[in-house]
Amino acid sequence: MSDNSYAKLQALIVDDFESFRITLSKMLQELGIGTVDSVSSSNDALRFCNSKVYDVILCDQNLGKGKTGQQILEVLRHQPSPNSDSLFVLVSAESNKSIIMAAYDYEPDAYLTKPITGQALGQRLDRLFKQRMALAPIYKALKEKDVDSAIQLCEAEIAAGNRYTGSCQKMLGRLLLQVGNVEKAEALYRNILDVRQLDWAMLGMAQTKKMQGDSLSAQQWLEEIIQFNPLCLKAYDVLAEIMVERGDSQGQQKILQKAVDISPLSILRQQELGDVSFKNNDLLGAANAYRKAVKIGENSCHDNIKFHESFAHAGIRLAKLDKNLASTVVRDALKVIAEIPHRFGKTNSVRMNALLLESQLCVASGEERRAEEALQNAQKIIEADTSAVTLDTRIELVRTLRELGNKTESDKIIAELLSEYEGDETQLQKIDCLLDEPCSAKNKALVAQINKDGIAFYEAKDFSRAADCFTSALQDFPQHIGLRLNLVQALMGHVKAEPDKTTVVTAMQQTMAYIRKIIPDNHAQFRRFRQLEELLRGIIVSSKLAN
Amino acid sequence: MNRESQKIDFSFVLASSVHDMKNSLGMLLNTLAEVMEQYPPQNTEHAKSYGVLEYEAARINSELIQLLSLYRLDHDEVRVHIEECMVVDVLSEQVARNHGLLQTRSLNLVLQCDDSLSGYFDSDLVGGVINNVLVNCTRYSKQKLILSAQQTNEGLCISIEDDGPGYPQDMLNASTFAEAHTSFANGRPHLGLMFANKVALMHRNKSQQGFIRLTNDSSLGGGCFKLYLP
Repeated sequence: MSDNSYAKLQALIVDDFESFRITLSKMLQELGIGTVDSVSSSNDALRFCNSKVYDVILCDQNLGKGKTGQQILEVLRHQPSPNSDSLFVLVSAESNKSIIMAAYDYEPDAYLTKPITGQALGQRLDRLFKQRMALAPIYKALKEKDVDSAIQLCEAEIAAGNRYTGSCQKMLGRLLLQVGNVEKAEALYRNILDVRQLDWAMLGMAQTKKMQGDSLSAQQWLEEIIQFNPLCLKAYDVLAEIMVERGDSQGQQKILQKAVDISPLSILRQQELGDVSFKNNDLLGAANAYRKAVKIGENSCHDNIKFHESFAHAGIRLAKLDKNLASTVVRDALKVIAEIPHRFGKTNSVRMNALLLESQLCVASGEERRAEEALQNAQKIIEADTSAVTLDTRIELVRTLRELGNKTESDKIIAELLSEYEGDETQLQKIDCLLDEPCSAKNKALVAQINKDGIAFYEAKDFSRAADCFTSALQDFPQHIGLRLNLVQALMGHVKAEPDKTTVVTAMQQTMAYIRKIIPDNHAQFRRFRQLEELLRGIIVSSKLAN
Repeated sequence: MNRESQKIDFSFVLASSVHDMKNSLGMLLNTLAEVMEQYPPQNTEHAKSYGVLEYEAARINSELIQLLSLYRLDHDEVRVHIEECMVVDVLSEQVARNHGLLQTRSLNLVLQCDDSLSGYFDSDLVGGVINNVLVNCTRYSKQKLILSAQQTNEGLCISIEDDGPGYPQDMLNASTFAEAHTSFANGRPHLGLMFANKVALMHRNKSQQGFIRLTNDSSLGGGCFKLYLP
């Protein structure tokens, strides 16, 4: 590229070392680049990127405080930004890029290792700009969301057989899968894999197989990639998706756990792991994942108040099962909740939700007075600003009142909710989490199905799968006494088959204790509950005798 | 604080020290380049001193890359990441990295590589090996170096030839062993060779595996290093 075409270019340098910024800036000017801006922090970088379009951004990975280089890239590519398709060059002292890349979904256009020399920089930029120009029509089609043209252009480029063949093949595969042309995608990946086992092509093949409904082959491909390159985190993601399709939430949790063990910095995976662990009633696992998600969230554009609240919920639920085990989670959750208004704005709706969660956490940590206070403060805001009160807040209010033993008030609100939202299926589905029996059509059918599946497992003497079935449903309908009694019965079957399993006995005791707290004397299944209590007592006595 | 948390995570210490050292090294190299530009050498003695400074800085850098890579390879933290690469890009990047050093030493490096030649390898690891050999060659060569690459029956072959005195006998012996650790049991540990050998072995395709060859039959009369990647 000639010098005068560089003269029109605008570059941004992001590095926390002043001397490095100066050196790099001098190098770029010597290369003939017209405008060079430099900033020292991620905040400044994003501010500059909001107001100006850069042709190239040279960004250090390790910026000391705030976001990392990768997190800046994440913001630019994930959110609408004037620089969403600027060339992004990540600079780092790490000589093996896979270590830094592993955690993220967005790849920079290039990666430069320190120390950088003017010659090497010039060469690399030249190559990048040339590639940008050569593939400009494809990028343009992609930006205009004209996928068909992009596919044709990629095919033409591949047929021409030049240095961009590899990147065009990658792009083409992705596009073919995007439009659902699995036959063409399979042919493309098979051609590549005949010559060489490249992990991106293996991944593409796995995705193709998955789309064809052949999840077994897909799984085989993915397991091969992981064996070959355990840092290929995308493979774990697709494997987790397959587990979701199969309804295997235990499998999904296991895969995600492996992925975050390798790369703990991926916020989206931590969030997902938290949710699935919660669903599997692994509340401690859920709390750990949410804790990390909250921590990484500080510098990520994927941060969401939902996961801060979920962390609190995990602590509250865990405390109901085991107060000692929950104590650290509850303590940390109180801190996270106290931070919420600073992080997500001091609006009334944010504040009242935070106070309600604080109140429940205080019950969990045994601070009744502080719990009452937090509830009163929440109620004051609720009364003062009724327009900010959402259904979610009222559900949280019911939970808090219950925790504090105010049954009259909580029953009153539930009755109000049910009459207010009568006939509103979507909202009724939300309210179902507070009820013994769901009231929405969808959840009624769901519970019926779960019961049917669970009972089928039970009758086939597959007690642990029966228990998993009821457990995961109870995360959505914690007040459902019938489901909970079924769970006790499944666990009881498990203990009879394997009398040594003390963890199952504990789970049974915890479940019974939960029911004891919520079951009214006049409940239709009260007699069944008493019978199960008798049986449980017998099991505990006999297991003590055995020891 | 419990005992566990007091234990030093050496991998972390190493990585962060290397990070800092490379930052300093970058500044050192760039400042040196500026000084040389502002005060061009007045005599051969002067030029020689500049050359030593540049060479030693480049050597520290390549040793650091090697150190961290070897540590990581040994601790299973890094696997080869094989991708299609344009060979000329990877080679010219290493030449550009050492541009100053070659100039100060008045060495003429000839790059012979077809623009369309592509290969399948880990460009970070292979780049590290080439950098290492190049820096080493700048010390022993007199005038000329040839960096070349071509497709052969045994895979892609990258060669670095010099016009120096050739490799000493113990190195030539070492390089013919397939397994790194057996060949370095006695005598000087040629870390650079061990690194190159390890990187070569990590490149496999179907039944073929990469290897290195060290000879003294360079077309320039000196040593010749060859890296074969299947």
